[in-house]
Amino acid sequence: MTVGSTRSRLLFALAFLLPNLLGFLVFTAGPVLASFGMSLTDLSIAKHNFYSDEQVEFIGLENYENILVGPESQQFFWPYFGNTVFLMLGIPLGIAGSLAISLLITAKIPPTKTANRGVLSAIVVVLTIVAAFAVWHATQPGDRPPGEELVLSVESGLSDMSTWQVERLRAVTATLATIGVGVLAILGLTVGSLFFRTAFYLPSLLAGVPMFLLWKTLYRPDGGLINAVLDPIIDGTHAVVTATPALLWQGLGVLLALASLGLAGRSVYTGVERVIHREAGASSFVGRLVLVLTMLAIAGGLVLVIYHLPASAAAAAAEGTQGFNPPEWLVSTTWAKPALIVMGVWLGVGGANMLLYIAGISNIPPELYEAADIDGANQWQRFINVTWPQLAPTTFFIVIMSTIGGLQGGFEQALIMTDGLYDTTVLTYYIYNLAFEDEFQLGLASAVAWVMFAIIFTMTVINYRFGSKLTNE
Amino acid sequence: MSNSGSTLTTTPHRGRTGETILRITARVVGFVILVTLSVTFVVPFLWQVILSLSSLADVDRIALLGVPPTVHPESYVRVFEIVAYAKAFFNSFFIAGWVTLLQVVTSAMAAFAFSRLQWPGRDRLFLLYLATMMIPGVVLMVPNFALILSLGLFNTYAGLIIPAAFSAYGTFLLRQFMLTIPSSLDEAAAIDGAGPVRIFLDVILPLTRPGLIVLTIFTFLGNYNSFFWPLVLIKDENLRTLPIALRAFDTTYGTDTPALMAASLMAMIPPIIIFILLQRYLVKGIQLGAVKG
Repeated sequence: MTVGSTRSRLLFALAFLLPNLLGFLVFTAGPVLASFGMSLTDLSIAKHNFYSDEQVEFIGLENYENILVGPESQQFFWPYFGNTVFLMLGIPLGIAGSLAISLLITAKIPPTKTANRGVLSAIVVVLTIVAAFAVWHATQPGDRPPGEELVLSVESGLSDMSTWQVERLRAVTATLATIGVGVLAILGLTVGSLFFRTAFYLPSLLAGVPMFLLWKTLYRPDGGLINAVLDPIIDGTHAVVTATPALLWQGLGVLLALASLGLAGRSVYTGVERVIHREAGASSFVGRLVLVLTMLAIAGGLVLVIYHLPASAAAAAAEGTQGFNPPEWLVSTTWAKPALIVMGVWLGVGGANMLLYIAGISNIPPELYEAADIDGANQWQRFINVTWPQLAPTTFFIVIMSTIGGLQGGFEQALIMTDGLYDTTVLTYYIYNLAFEDEFQLGLASAVAWVMFAIIFTMTVINYRFGSKLTNE
Repeated sequence: MSNSGSTLTTTPHRGRTGETILRITARVVGFVILVTLSVTFVVPFLWQVILSLSSLADVDRIALLGVPPTVHPESYVRVFEIVAYAKAFFNSFFIAGWVTLLQVVTSAMAAFAFSRLQWPGRDRLFLLYLATMMIPGVVLMVPNFALILSLGLFNTYAGLIIPAAFSAYGTFLLRQFMLTIPSSLDEAAAIDGAGPVRIFLDVILPLTRPGLIVLTIFTFLGNYNSFFWPLVLIKDENLRTLPIALRAFDTTYGTDTPALMAASLMAMIPPIIIFILLQRYLVKGIQLGAVKG
């Protein structure tokens, strides 16, 4: 609107802007400047308060020096920075997972026709009922025999219950689990993709203290669900590994390594060939390379585990434990960070990133797939030549946002689940400790915040330069 | 992959039966994977329900049994007896509600000034707003803490509400929505003699409704879950928000797992209800880039 004099227009605009601008200046713009100023002083509430008349001193870059190169930097900043970066390893895993899930959801797997849905749902209902009865009959221990309460269970932790009671509870569990899976399948068939999208999104919506407390119980070394599920699996693996010659596993590892290297080489070769024949630009090659390297890293981890299985099995046997020992998760320096990563992937894989990918996939012009079909492309070729390059802008945005979030994140999880023990203290936690826990050293904490800002800024610039190459085909 | 099922509805040609069988198999496998994934997303919540209903003695062996031998819903009552949980619920709703109301109002007004009014220096100021959105939150923590202390707002509702009532992000989001409204609408209203206030209330606000709803949901959920500021600013047990009450519960009565799980489950219910009711707006908001970071 350009009605009225400049003066009156400015006044109206100011009237609309005032509440927001005031808050913006007082709680955002001002504090940013103040924060930088504070980082150059020795401000600390323990020293400077109502009861002392000590002056706040300007100490130049001394705080920065203490944080980054001082004698305490090896004890605080750098390990915490290392923990932060370690936890960020979950980011590529989460992004790959989000992409895979989005592809599944957009693949129109549940039938779209109402009639087909009805028939299939009816079949699954019948199957579920039959399966539930079958499971119940296979597992339930029969009628309560007289005097059964005298036959106590020998399992540790259950020794005050009778064998019959334990078996019966397990039969109820197995039957309910069967029904549960059936219900999920029926919901998937009747509600369609929307059901899966909602189920996958809920964890990220609920991420917060209640969720971290729930995962803390899941991770309990004894009595936690994760180890209860894991224990029989790894013990079974142990039994299989010890019963077979070590050469088999080492050979399998080598074969898998060769196969993945071969596939990666072929894919890179195709990319190079295309660039030489000018069928595709250099940016498409970079995108392809990123994908191949990510897959190679995952395959590499798998190969290492398989190759070393016999050695670890022997080591476990030498220690005299039965099978492999399950990880102690949140109470172990080795496993606390992986535990936080697994939880982070579970929480985030179906969140905003998945929704962004779904939107991105549905915006890909169908003509591109038709052209690929005419060229006789298979599913993998369709993905690497159409879907992945078309999603590059989405991936770029997700990588930037996740990097910024990852560098600042990890505080709540660590505080709630590990108290920052077992090498889980991240940079934000460090600021919290400095400013709000110990001596309220506000100057030093501000300096850490500005170091973090510098890291985030650098990472964003790197991402941006690399990513704009990737997306501007 | 995204079109793999599209030809299924047409009658298969002779000789393409093999291909059709392959496609059906692919869809069945895909469906099994989706159901398996949804199992892993649902099981932790079932575990939470089961733990919350077990007796204290059974909690540590639920993993061996599956279902608890006896059901104990009284944990849900115990939560309210041990800590001031009802008050925490009230505090969370009260604080998140006020923050949301104030933030939506101030953001909408500012977005109007930035998108529909012409005045000198407008774009330069907006650029400054955008620039501060790049600044990580950690930089603001310490000076805002000092500011709240010096304003005498430590350990008060106002200390949690007022600093959160203004948002460059909300302004940005609503400005994006308002820019999509054709300018002919407010020009017509101006010709009819409507002033900026009338145009804002009667023309722009009703048309920005989806944006307002998106911002309301994100702000409310974000503040409902907010942990850091209440942790730093609230010392009084009566002012605790849900996340703080839960943490206090965990550090003091953490061994009472059934009550802890009952408490955390109850804290999760309001966001679930909001999500299911307003899902369509939420999804739209996220796809518009409204990711609260």
